[in-house]
Amino acid sequence: MTRVMARNRRTQVRTSATQATPSLAPHRGSGERRAWIHTVIGVVILAVLLFPLYWMINASFQPSGALLKPEPSYFPTTFTLDGYRSTFATQGSNVVTSLIVSLGTVVITLLLATPAAYALAKLRVPARTSLMLVVITVQMIPGIVMANALYIVFARLRLIDNYLGLMLADATTAVPFAILIMRAFMQDIPQELMEAARIDGAGELGVFRSIVVPMSRNSIITAGLFAFLHGWSDFLFAVTLTTGSAFTPVTVGIYRFMGAQTADWNGVMATATVASIPAVFLLILVQKYIAAGITGGAVKE
Amino acid sequence: MTTGTHGNTRTTPRRPRRLALGAGILGMSLVVSACSGTTPGTGSSGPAASVAPASSITEIDYFTDATSSDAFKKVLDTCSTQTGVTIQRQSLPLKELLPKVLQGASSGTMPDLAFVDNVNVQQLAETGALSPIDDYGFDLSGYVKGIVDATTLNGKNYGVSPAINTLALFYNKKMFADAGLTPPTTWDELTKDAKALTSGSRYGFAVSAPASEEGTWQFLPFFWSNGGDLTKLTAAPSVDALTYLTSFVKDGSMSQSVVNWAQADVADQFIAGNAAMMINGPWNISKIDKSGKVDYGIVPIPTPKAGQDPVVPLGGEVGVIPATGAPTQAAAAEVLKCMTADAQMLKWAEGNTRIAPRASTAAEEIKAMPVLAPFATTVLTARARTTGLGAKYPVISQALWTAIQSALTGAQSPEAALQAAQKSVG
Amino acid sequence: MSTIDRTGVRERGMRSRTHRREYLVGIAFGVPAAVYVVAFFGYPLFYNVLMGFQNYTPRSFYTGEAPFVGLANYQTVISSPTFWPAIWHTAVFTVGSIAFQFAIGLGLALYFTRRFPLSGLLRAMLLLPWLLPLIVSSAIWRWMYDKDYGVVNALLKLIPGVDAGVPWLTQGNWALVAIIIANIWIGIPFNMVLLHGGLQSISADIYEAAKLDGAGAWQRFRYMTWPLLKPVTLVVLMLGLVYTIKVFDVIMGLTGGGPANQTQTLTTWSYQYSFQLFKFGPGAAVSNLLIIIATVVGLLYLRSLRRSGDPR
Repeated sequence: MTRVMARNRRTQVRTSATQATPSLAPHRGSGERRAWIHTVIGVVILAVLLFPLYWMINASFQPSGALLKPEPSYFPTTFTLDGYRSTFATQGSNVVTSLIVSLGTVVITLLLATPAAYALAKLRVPARTSLMLVVITVQMIPGIVMANALYIVFARLRLIDNYLGLMLADATTAVPFAILIMRAFMQDIPQELMEAARIDGAGELGVFRSIVVPMSRNSIITAGLFAFLHGWSDFLFAVTLTTGSAFTPVTVGIYRFMGAQTADWNGVMATATVASIPAVFLLILVQKYIAAGITGGAVKE
Repeated sequence: MTTGTHGNTRTTPRRPRRLALGAGILGMSLVVSACSGTTPGTGSSGPAASVAPASSITEIDYFTDATSSDAFKKVLDTCSTQTGVTIQRQSLPLKELLPKVLQGASSGTMPDLAFVDNVNVQQLAETGALSPIDDYGFDLSGYVKGIVDATTLNGKNYGVSPAINTLALFYNKKMFADAGLTPPTTWDELTKDAKALTSGSRYGFAVSAPASEEGTWQFLPFFWSNGGDLTKLTAAPSVDALTYLTSFVKDGSMSQSVVNWAQADVADQFIAGNAAMMINGPWNISKIDKSGKVDYGIVPIPTPKAGQDPVVPLGGEVGVIPATGAPTQAAAAEVLKCMTADAQMLKWAEGNTRIAPRASTAAEEIKAMPVLAPFATTVLTARARTTGLGAKYPVISQALWTAIQSALTGAQSPEAALQAAQKSVG
Repeated sequence: MSTIDRTGVRERGMRSRTHRREYLVGIAFGVPAAVYVVAFFGYPLFYNVLMGFQNYTPRSFYTGEAPFVGLANYQTVISSPTFWPAIWHTAVFTVGSIAFQFAIGLGLALYFTRRFPLSGLLRAMLLLPWLLPLIVSSAIWRWMYDKDYGVVNALLKLIPGVDAGVPWLTQGNWALVAIIIANIWIGIPFNMVLLHGGLQSISADIYEAAKLDGAGAWQRFRYMTWPLLKPVTLVVLMLGLVYTIKVFDVIMGLTGGGPANQTQTLTTWSYQYSFQLFKFGPGAAVSNLLIIIATVVGLLYLRSLRRSGDPR
């Protein structure tokens, strides 16, 4: 295969991406109206699926227990901002901490998992099946067992109350998943493209950097997203590997509103709502980058 | 996907290579685990009196919510200044406390001073990780007997409590006045009042019966007051007590949802006016007061017959001193002594709305907070759950709360439920 | 392929050099992850497997003594009256959750492949259920499911003919349904995002050709989308299975395994053994059973990969 042919192949793939939505172009008028109907349906689906979230926001504006009525108040009639006040006063730094830990988890996960996924998808790796089995199986180890074991090791290595330690621990929930997902998507990268790059003189790292990574953008972003969510909502490692003297992620900080026998649900829900906001922004931002057709399709020309 | 001509030119057969890799992985794991294996705890548990106390200790407790945490911090700060010991504090949710202590035991990093639930003290003591407090010269005169029982194992005392609590009956004064009723004192009266106060969406009575220690804890006043014995779950008094509790659900005066309500949820229901009476503890007082929605009263839990005293379970935290080395143990003892001296004990009990374990201090507390009086009187005769049972208690408790849930949801009769419970205890 | 054109010994020599190079490259790319996996999972896995064969009590944490008891823990677990119910609950919970999570996730993914205004924003917001700390999600669902004061029953009672609330969390069978529904809600984003990603990687030109040939929407899905989606479907189902069996916080938050063990799954039962009864040996035994189940699922997945044309 010549260089020109390979470049043409790459262009072909890219053009198919921009043609992902042929239906809208020719019939602009009725197409637009039809598109807005879809938006309305989408919003309705969202409303139904996210009702529990609305309930959380509802609860965050009402005193604890105000939702416990036979006719629950669908709107916060007994409005209170106490929860939000306490949240802003005490949880601000915790939200920042959680963000830092989550982003660190993403970086570590992608650094470890992307090359490994590529190796398992495309390269000759000895005992590939066994390795994949190991990656699948280790996810089953109960979180509390992981936490216990990691605490013992981290305590010895003085990694308690350490950002990097917590990120590495949170990555344990994300790395196996990232490897498996990215591997599944990387399988679809056409062999010819990689061979062409090798013929062009690219080393293995070059092939990885210039072909595999760009073409796996969707799955890398997805894996990163999941790593972020795992790091963000992790409680077990957060409570095990921190002592509260250095930093506190928001999943532990939320216990400022929950005691052994009492609970201030208003504060809990307010914290949860406030904590979700930065994460929602990130989600919306990231979704833009999951574009169509980047991985070149499963159909070979 | 190109298949290939590649596949036929292997130089070494597949299987031995895979086995070798598998062995290699296993080997590395063994090395890692050998290097980070468990070691027994360090530190002596002998007398620490003649050693200079350390200048800083690590502490752990389960007071995470704002009110308790702030009140506890004040006490810790005062005692830190008084004793000259810096205290590194960690507060965790109660469910995570014991796993953390055990992790500390495994890795030799136990806290120097730990406040654990009294129900776990004997079990921790059995592990050998705690140092007996007899070595430090605590003065426990005037302490409520129940809490000393809870912390004693094989004749040695392993902890000192800064505050205790128990259960009583909260009732909605307005609802009672409207129905022309007075608070019940016997089981019959409780049944009648609950029935009379159930109307519309409001239930007359509520307890907490979830699948956790809270379920057992809330049932024990009825169980013990009727003469029930935790080692004889199938005996008549035990069965009668469970039958009695189930009768509320059968009557319709208690919601079946109680099997899902923690004590915090029951309090929310009471405040919302969905329950006219509830069994709960003194920790709710500030919350109910703050809500301003309920004019409430507190009376001791009704007993099977008139004129009896209710036998209630003892709750509360206990300060224990793990064996982390003579200097830190001595320092921890100093801090704990300061916390359980009258002045701080009073501050903590008032700040956290619990009861001081020393009778004289409790009397003073009642003067300042008369609403706590019913708790203060019943706690004098409260019984520790682990008395005579030690590490066997968790198994019995789990069996009992399962039986309670089974009976309350109608899955089994109280008798059958308790028989199944006894069987699972063995 | 350049090598095909050459012949003879030189060809074989070049091929084995290429193989070896690829082999080394493969190892190099995989080593960081491999080191990580061994370092972070090796010890816990070993520890857990070992604990299944020991009489491990709180004392063992402190003294390190844990007498070897062979298969006694496994015998205790298997002969316990909770064993078969736990397996049954785990099976129903897993199958029920995955079936609906996958179907709804796929439906949403298909719907959102269209481009319409705000589709990106809506898709991002559908990830929110996964964002919440599980302690918050369980609290919300618990209130919603309350028999007398929950909004689910309030909404149900709006339907003519329904006048009594459903005992969502207080009757065994309903409790199982309740936790399945809550788990489905939490799991839809996972399925949707992955399937959406898979759908996006299918080139749209092929649909054009099919539409021109007169293929209807269902036919396009059945004969084109579905087979092309197979690799992603397999990995989503396999991971979904592994993660659903592992679900813990949702069940503990909603029912605590109750009422009376009627929503006890293997994972919650393992926790009960270890942290409520303090019998860590049987607790580890149950979680080792889970690891075995996951291994079996993994083997099935790998076999299906091989069958579906994974060349190596």
